Amino acid sequence: MKRIILVGKPNSGKSLLFNQLTGLRQKVANFPGVTVELKSGKFEQYQLIDFPGAYSMSTLTRDEEIAVEKINQALLDQQTALIICNLDATRLQSSLMFGMQMQAMAQRYGKPMVFALNMIDEVARFGHQIDVAALSKDLGAPVYAISAKTLEGIAEFKTAVLQDAEQAATEINAEDTAALPALDFSEQVKQSRLLAAKYGIQSTVVLKHQNAIDSFMLSNLSGGIAFLLVMFLLFQSIFTFATPLMDAVETVIGSIASFVTDLTGPGMLADFLNDAIFGGLGSFLVFVPQIMVLTLIIGMLEDSGYLARAALICHKPLSYFGLSGRSFIPFLSAHACAIPAIMAARTIESPRKRLITMLTIPLMSCSARLPVYALLVAVLIPDTRYLGGLVNLQGVAFFGLYFFGIVTALLVSLVLSRSSLNDDAKSDMPFILELPTYRLPHWKPLIHRVTNSAKQFVYRAGPVIFMVSLGIWVLGYFPTGAGGLQDSYLGMMGHWIEPLFAPLGLDWRYGVAILMSFLAREVFVGALGTLFGMDGADENIAGLAANIQADGLTFGAGMGILLFYVVALQCVATVATLKAETGSTKLVTGLVIGYGALAYLLAMLCAQLL
Amino acid sequence: MMTLWDASGGQTVMVTSLDPAIDLSVSSRLREMGLDCGDPVLCLRRGPFQGTLVVAIADCVYSLEQHIARKIQVKPL
Repeated sequence: MKRIILVGKPNSGKSLLFNQLTGLRQKVANFPGVTVELKSGKFEQYQLIDFPGAYSMSTLTRDEEIAVEKINQALLDQQTALIICNLDATRLQSSLMFGMQMQAMAQRYGKPMVFALNMIDEVARFGHQIDVAALSKDLGAPVYAISAKTLEGIAEFKTAVLQDAEQAATEINAEDTAALPALDFSEQVKQSRLLAAKYGIQSTVVLKHQNAIDSFMLSNLSGGIAFLLVMFLLFQSIFTFATPLMDAVETVIGSIASFVTDLTGPGMLADFLNDAIFGGLGSFLVFVPQIMVLTLIIGMLEDSGYLARAALICHKPLSYFGLSGRSFIPFLSAHACAIPAIMAARTIESPRKRLITMLTIPLMSCSARLPVYALLVAVLIPDTRYLGGLVNLQGVAFFGLYFFGIVTALLVSLVLSRSSLNDDAKSDMPFILELPTYRLPHWKPLIHRVTNSAKQFVYRAGPVIFMVSLGIWVLGYFPTGAGGLQDSYLGMMGHWIEPLFAPLGLDWRYGVAILMSFLAREVFVGALGTLFGMDGADENIAGLAANIQADGLTFGAGMGILLFYVVALQCVATVATLKAETGSTKLVTGLVIGYGALAYLLAMLCAQLL
Repeated sequence: MMTLWDASGGQTVMVTSLDPAIDLSVSSRLREMGLDCGDPVLCLRRGPFQGTLVVAIADCVYSLEQHIARKIQVKPL
């Protein structure tokens, strides 16, 4: 299949354009470096590839390196029919800086290129008009004015691009143009400035609104308060906003459970449905709304442009721990999932800081830990509310757990930064970050992202939890039948591993649940749901929490489990991603063992001291 | 010699030179951004904790860390 490639400066609306052309809902955010890997989709008869954004063909960060490497490969590829270079119409000079370098490369390799002059709606909002025909003439290439956000000019752009690609396939011969000289660097700078001055909006007009908000968001006092408030509300909202939705899910599952068990009548099938399906799988599904709320709020922050400011605010404090302000973004998104966060670390300019960030990302509490936290916080912390219900003690405990993960990550970073890890010449590249314009979120891709996070959560962990619940139920039901858990096969196996968990103040049932959760963390709740369900707990999370309380889990042992889950690296997919990104099995194996040992030690200390 | 870090909020300065000790890939990026000799730069503010400097260069706003801002020599405009 012939290809069209989409390139451009970071944060220029490229990913949104890709989504409009392909119908795919790729993650779109208002932060430089969102496309950290190549995305591809079908655009009519062509394959459209979205490349990571780059400021220049001479690279500074790993994501730019990947972008330029892949662009060079695509330029040499016979299958590449056309290049679309996306320009931010409100920031012509910086967009053209990359655009003209790209144009020179395309000419050199005999590839046709068109410019998409994106965000034209914002130009109109500033009361400005760009003479597109004249700009096209000056650039010597077709320029199409579009807005990927409002869809202005998109239909015409699609038709024109397809025509350009078709025409190019018959006209261009790489050998004819390969000898063209590349445009001189200073000449590119000069030309991009001239064209921007001739056609672009005055920077003072574009930046006026942004600077006014920044004077509040970046001041020492108000900026710091705003930052702390945003972070606190982020974690509180997981509890406050998600609770009604969680209650609704729980009610639905409860109704289905009673309906189904009424139909089947008492017996082994009813026991299986109650304990393994509704007790195991059902107790895990209750947490889907919390995952969605967390993804929604992180997405809104990314879209708004605030995250780049947060990175700036955090730069100095993070530098004390050997990290960069850019580490903040992967750290924050790791609270949803570690895998995209590890990929997002590619935007960090310094290889050393990038490595430290990647190695400490697993300490950030991802959404898979949420069910474990929610269950044990409900068991250990009273549901007391303050300030008219805005502040919830359980929410504060949640915040504390996330905070503990962050502090541990910073301390580990400090230790790693003092080591000789990746100590090469380019290891200390400076922190240079573009601050994007503040914008309202693009709701459609954001809502898709939220629903997708829920789907991924269910599809990834659901089958594992189902199999584990089934296995636990079978081993726990036989040979004694209902009510004979202690003497079941599972009971026998559990007693065998019990000495390992005895120093943590935990009996064999917790041991089984913890060991099973090395497949996926969420399994812990499902496994306990099945185990306690077999012992007579209700099929909802409150019932399970009450049963665990009545069973006598001590505060110290419970806190120990929580800290164990904050620190232990129990995700196969994260380990695989770390291995791929660091290229070192030794390093990643050391990390799994190190975090495991630290987690066990912390859990033991809690159980013994609290 | 005045450096970009010394510029106060709201002050426009002109770049006079880049420290030759700056890594080549970084200095070429700075030039592309509009931090070449003779280029005007509007210093907007210092970031919180004095860690970074926020500057408007051409049509973009950037944050530069202190370490690099100190290696860019400027004069008031």
